[in-house]
Amino acid sequence: MATIDGSSIKKLIVACDAGMGSSVMLASTLKKQLAKNGVTVEHSAVAQIPSDADVVVTQAGLVDRARGVVPGVPVIPFMLFLGDPAVAKLVKAIQDGTTVEY
Amino acid sequence: MSAYTPEVTGTGARARVQRFGAFLAGMVMPNLGAFIAFGLITTLFIPDGWVNKIAGTQTEVSTQISSVVGPLIVILIPILIAYTGGQRVHGTRGAVVGAVALVGAMLAPVALQLTPISLNGEAVAPPANISEIGPTILAAFVLGPLTAWLLKMWDNFIAGKVKGGFEMLVDNFSAGIIGGLLAVFGLYVIGPITFWISQGLGWLANALINVGLLPLVSIVVEPAKVLFLNNAINHGVFTPLGIEQAAGAGKSIFFMIESNPGPGLGILIAMLLFGPRAVRPTVPAAMVVHFLGGIHEIYFPYVLLKPILVIAAILGGATGVLWEVIFNLGLVAPASPGSIFAWILVSPPDNLLLNMVGIVLAAAVAAVVGSALLGFGRKESAVDAAIDLEAAKSQSAENKKASKAPATA
Repeated sequence: MATIDGSSIKKLIVACDAGMGSSVMLASTLKKQLAKNGVTVEHSAVAQIPSDADVVVTQAGLVDRARGVVPGVPVIPFMLFLGDPAVAKLVKAIQDGTTVEY
Repeated sequence: MSAYTPEVTGTGARARVQRFGAFLAGMVMPNLGAFIAFGLITTLFIPDGWVNKIAGTQTEVSTQISSVVGPLIVILIPILIAYTGGQRVHGTRGAVVGAVALVGAMLAPVALQLTPISLNGEAVAPPANISEIGPTILAAFVLGPLTAWLLKMWDNFIAGKVKGGFEMLVDNFSAGIIGGLLAVFGLYVIGPITFWISQGLGWLANALINVGLLPLVSIVVEPAKVLFLNNAINHGVFTPLGIEQAAGAGKSIFFMIESNPGPGLGILIAMLLFGPRAVRPTVPAAMVVHFLGGIHEIYFPYVLLKPILVIAAILGGATGVLWEVIFNLGLVAPASPGSIFAWILVSPPDNLLLNMVGIVLAAAVAAVVGSALLGFGRKESAVDAAIDLEAAKSQSAENKKASKAPATA
């Protein structure tokens, strides 16, 4: 199981199918939570994830496609759009500068 | 990795279908604003729209403004879709040639005098001029990306070979020539082919409605939705079908099949009452986002968590469709996102109340069936216990970090 260092994350992409609905919602939540940590949070369609992303967060059902688009970038899957522990762990790791498994 | 995020077991096939669907939906979704403008002008200003209904007479202003409706749907929207399709493949240059090529296919029924299929025995004739054509969305799906791809091939081939100072001449004329050629190709080949495919699909859909089998599509639609094929199905299949139907009939049931927020609301109600205890607190916020905000994605994970709930979604969805078929209901434009507000805004005045009842019925059926499938909370399975445990564990880890004290959760 690979790990990623929270303090190295400068650009976080939230991806969903169309890049218009759920990803925008989660991205705006994360933007608020990570405002003080100097992390750029953007949303995108899963087919158009920018390759300079440090980490990608996406729903478990879209993970295969996300990994296909940006093979070198860590993709963290989550299940629930609200209150998912996988997302909470990542936020915590970024805030505290600790590492997180993915 | 928590129980919320199981190993992805989806095969490549699902990702491929998602990708193709996303490609089609990607041509439609950036243009939803145009659909909504069309929908609002239609519900307000057509002869039996809100303005005349409230005024109690055929007002002159509504007659004037409703002249915008036809061109918006049969000309602008297909061109926008072809433009966007071209843009996806080859930027603005691709977008422009895609739009040019579509105009050929768009006019094929007029130029070649193609006679549409008579659906219910009514007299049909080939369109006399451009105001009588239908929306050529299928042709836009093909010609936008295809023309842009051909231009891209040419641009790649010629790259670096053009003498300095001649770049603009070559660029403009290569786009003009390829766009023009594909417009002719569209007129004689793609236009007629997509015309007959649309006619065939329209005939098939009409037959399904006539024999009352349309509710069966929920068996496919609801499971596909929770696999994140919702946009692919709605904007790849139902929006084009609905636009064709709405151009003739003024409204379409196809806009309602995927976008009904009722089944998802029912699932969330069942989850709130009888779902695994650990996830219950997340449900109320999800209800707001789903039902009011129209982001259906938010309820899919709850179904994936308890796959049996897909049966509740199917029965709820089929109930809604059955109701809509019985009362011949429709929406004038795509309700996207699938929020209750979007439904209200694009419901024809005469259908508004019954459309709302359709949502409530779908929600009620999905909620009751879903609750039953969850055993009314009485049979918390080992899986649920595991979910609770996992949540408790991560909770206690949080507590430990925060307080350095042993967790009691």
